Amino acid sequence: MASRKKVLLKVIILGDSGVGKTSLMNQYVAKKFSNQYKATIGADFLTKEVMVDDRLVTMQIWDTAGQERFQSLGVAFYRGADGCVLVFDVTMPNTFRSLDSWRDEFLIQASPRDPENFPFVVIGNKIDLENRAVSARRAQGWCHSKGDIPYFETSAKEAINVEQAFQAVAKNAMAQESDVELCSDFPDPIKLKDDQAKPRENCAC
Amino acid sequence: MSDISRSHEYLSFRSTIPQRKIIVDDDNSKEWTLYEAGPKTVKSPLICFPPASGTADVYFRQVLGLSALGYRVIAVEYPIYWTMKEFVEGFRKLLDHLVLDRVHIFGASLGGFLAQKFAEHSCRSQRVASLILCNTFYDTTIFQQTNSAPTFWMMPAVYLKKMVMGSFERRATEPEIVDSIDFMVEKLDGMSQQALASRLTLNCMNCYVEPQKLRDVDILLMDVFDECALSSGVREEMCKCYPEAKRAHLKTGGNFPYLSKSTEVNVFLQIHLRKYDMGPYRARELTENELQLLSEADGTLNKSS
Repeated sequence: MASRKKVLLKVIILGDSGVGKTSLMNQYVAKKFSNQYKATIGADFLTKEVMVDDRLVTMQIWDTAGQERFQSLGVAFYRGADGCVLVFDVTMPNTFRSLDSWRDEFLIQASPRDPENFPFVVIGNKIDLENRAVSARRAQGWCHSKGDIPYFETSAKEAINVEQAFQAVAKNAMAQESDVELCSDFPDPIKLKDDQAKPRENCAC
Repeated sequence: MSDISRSHEYLSFRSTIPQRKIIVDDDNSKEWTLYEAGPKTVKSPLICFPPASGTADVYFRQVLGLSALGYRVIAVEYPIYWTMKEFVEGFRKLLDHLVLDRVHIFGASLGGFLAQKFAEHSCRSQRVASLILCNTFYDTTIFQQTNSAPTFWMMPAVYLKKMVMGSFERRATEPEIVDSIDFMVEKLDGMSQQALASRLTLNCMNCYVEPQKLRDVDILLMDVFDECALSSGVREEMCKCYPEAKRAHLKTGGNFPYLSKSTEVNVFLQIHLRKYDMGPYRARELTENELQLLSEADGTLNKSS
């Protein structure tokens, strides 16, 4: 029973302003890309249904404001997150250096049960650009030091690796989810009366 | 008394926000009950429609939480109306009375159904700027009560209350959800036989929404992933009915997420209403600072190539 429950995965995208968080989300969910830059105000979300290990999962992806002055919604939506995507721009070293503080901020605000093994994914975006400044090795080194976070190099513009990165976060989040189900849920009660067959909807309250 | 009724938050709501009664029909026993907060200069407020068992104050966390952010929010409670025609006409008259041309409506269960019916009714005059529909449906035949609905008016209150109570999920374990159920049971208990019978009549009388008439309406569908009175089949039907609508799912929340998960619900409402901030149908008053920030954000050009 428990494993047939519908699953909602909440994934938060974090990173400095202009690294391409909104573009990554739009590319992944809507397969759209625009060169026009528009700062995200507060936050926005999109949902996408995906298959993870033969299970249909609803992903709710939260795109957040990179600029502090636009973070008007506060951090209420960090709560209950199942996965987090940390994004930097491979042409801007300072956005890579910020990953530490974004990760810390997330762990403080979302306070997940098991911070050591929380499903993060790191994305180095904009690999379609020429002026690359952060090497894959350097990025991988950082990911390794933070407990082997999976690392993906993407281009939201050219739809390179975007699907794979989000699939990875969904998969890892699901793995955590099933761990929790195993250890903390009570077994389903034995039903003496079969109420599954009931055809009529409850009168709405 | 339930924990919510005794909470500081609820008591401060009742002590700061006056309850208003408005009569818009010829029959002066038909009273709308309203709680309103936020700037009167806003002409497209968020109107909240309660479920069958609820009174207007079930939305006190939206009224308080959103008005603190500059939104104008009006939680309403329907008079004793027995037909859909009476309801849609009555609500239109209420909007006229309040001098509101176009509003955003947040409706849960029966409230969501009525909101869709009103949007359908006013599709030419466009009195609805957007809809936020929570745990709701678009066709009353799902309840299979269309035959008995015409007799609800003479059923004893106890029977009607049992009908509604039967749908409350009693196995809930999250304290917020348990509290929300306690509060709603209390509200249900306080309702008169006539009030409840009229709501259930609207809820179950053979009626459906024609979604094509709502094609131009901006809709947000909100629902929960845990147990609620509506089956997941019905919830999926809603999504199919409005394929263009944005979906705001909550992991848990039970039947009354606006009470049990109000912080999350309010974030969804804010995100939904934000796109109206700079236009004529804005639901809130922006501060100077916010106005400047927003126009800056709109003006920022082509940073990424």
